[in-house]
Amino acid sequence: MKTFLSVLILVLGPVLLLPPPVHADTLTCLVCHSAMKGKLKTEKGSFIEVNVDEERFSKSVHGMIGCTTCHKTFKENPHETPRGEVSQELTDLAGRISSKAEVDPIAYAACSECHGDIYKAVSESVHGINIMMKKQSDGAFCLDCHGSPHYIMPAKNRESPVNRWNVVATCSECHEKETIAKKYNLGTQIVEKYYDSFHGKKYKLGHPDVPTCVNCHGAHDIKKWDDPASPVSWERRIETCGKCHPGANKHFVASITHKPIGKDNPIPYYGEKMLIILTISVFIFIVSHVCLDAFTEIRDRVLRKNKEKSHDK
Amino acid sequence: MTNEKPTEYLRFNLVFRMQHIVLFITFFLLAFTGWSLKYPEPTLQHAGWWIRLWGGAKSAGIIHKAAGVTMIFVFVWHVLYMLYLLGTGKTKFNTTTTIVPVPKDVQDAVQNFLYFFGLGKTKPRYGRFTYLQKFDYWAVFWGMGIIGLSGLALAFPTKAQYLFPSWSVNWIWELLTVLHSDEALLAIVFILFIHFYDEHLKWEKFPMSMLWITGKMSMEEFKHEHPLEYELELKENPGFAGKQKNS
Repeated sequence: MKTFLSVLILVLGPVLLLPPPVHADTLTCLVCHSAMKGKLKTEKGSFIEVNVDEERFSKSVHGMIGCTTCHKTFKENPHETPRGEVSQELTDLAGRISSKAEVDPIAYAACSECHGDIYKAVSESVHGINIMMKKQSDGAFCLDCHGSPHYIMPAKNRESPVNRWNVVATCSECHEKETIAKKYNLGTQIVEKYYDSFHGKKYKLGHPDVPTCVNCHGAHDIKKWDDPASPVSWERRIETCGKCHPGANKHFVASITHKPIGKDNPIPYYGEKMLIILTISVFIFIVSHVCLDAFTEIRDRVLRKNKEKSHDK
Repeated sequence: MTNEKPTEYLRFNLVFRMQHIVLFITFFLLAFTGWSLKYPEPTLQHAGWWIRLWGGAKSAGIIHKAAGVTMIFVFVWHVLYMLYLLGTGKTKFNTTTTIVPVPKDVQDAVQNFLYFFGLGKTKPRYGRFTYLQKFDYWAVFWGMGIIGLSGLALAFPTKAQYLFPSWSVNWIWELLTVLHSDEALLAIVFILFIHFYDEHLKWEKFPMSMLWITGKMSMEEFKHEHPLEYELELKENPGFAGKQKNS
């Protein structure tokens, strides 16, 4: 049995250690694209990153997929179109996301071929509607959260931008920007207020259970908070908070607003000011008392030898 | 003071000493674990050695809550014990020995400050507790009221929610958070300066007096630091300096 195991390990070991095989098509593409550096300018004026890191690509969740699975056509570049057969559905979808996909809309739309359910959820979300209906180019779509399609890692992987420990920073890329907040009429301090909250502070400290943005707001199907379908809408908030805080009622769920404490909420606003005044005045009193006491003691020791008399009259 | 007589005075009995030990252990635990939550910035994610010292954020939270509940218990125990002592007449109220602030404390404070600035010739003559010790003592009551109650509400929010009327919910949670964290900072600063200076750093006390373990202070020290109580004891029981007394 021992010998058998050793042989098994000896034979299988090197096979298991080899990098995962890459699709045959892909190897042809990577001959050039893994060596190429820099960006190319398209006719429309966008820049294409031409380099594909072979190692990172092969380790990514899409490492087994051939390039042409997504890159179905090449309109504005030196390649010959490999297949040229693109379904009408995909062409339509590519047209709808054209505001976002500057480089290869067909390839961007091709996500939907495998991730149909998610694509549908995104297209009905506040992010998807912004791109597909309102034709904005600064909103989030697949790659803004997941990173380059060539290097997508599973969400459990610490490197993934949507990993629990990166996702707040990923959302912050847009939601910390004042221009975005102004344009879409959003709160300007939502990320800051998250980090100030008990959830955010514990998140910073590495607490394994506290919620990040997506645990309350949802991910692909995210809606604006006042949409009744949003998990943080007043209609659904008790249910959402109740996932971690069983028994939460409407008095409890009012606690998180992501709004800064301002003069419009005078009790905590002036309450905090008063506490600061109280803390500082007590601080000044005790520090000066301690210093005076210490100086007096030194003075008495150095200058006044008759100190004891004052006590024992 | 003659040398052949026993020269120690029992200032705090065993119950008080135990209450003090539980109080300061829970205080340290609360301050150390709470500090990382008040200032989580330098300890981004898993990198903070301070939070790892407490077994991570989750375990620090459990320690904080357990220590908080223990501190509330020791506080209640102390209050009940004081009521018992006063109710059974084992401790009698006396303006010289009471912890309750009396007008003389204001006089003492003024006299002490005059002495600091060289405007008075003599230091105040204290009873059982100096005005600063009274301040120190009642600060715990303030802290238990503000930090203890807000802490309970924050630790058990789905229970506390029933106590808050709907017109308060837009600010009560923010207020509780601010109260808990700011007053805790005040308590830490307070203890760090007043109590550590007065009981540890002072020339006569450094590094610390053994009073908190033995409950006893030397007759010399007693006479020197609490002359009025000494005189009161002497008047009530002229031979007391030779015996040990349970107060």
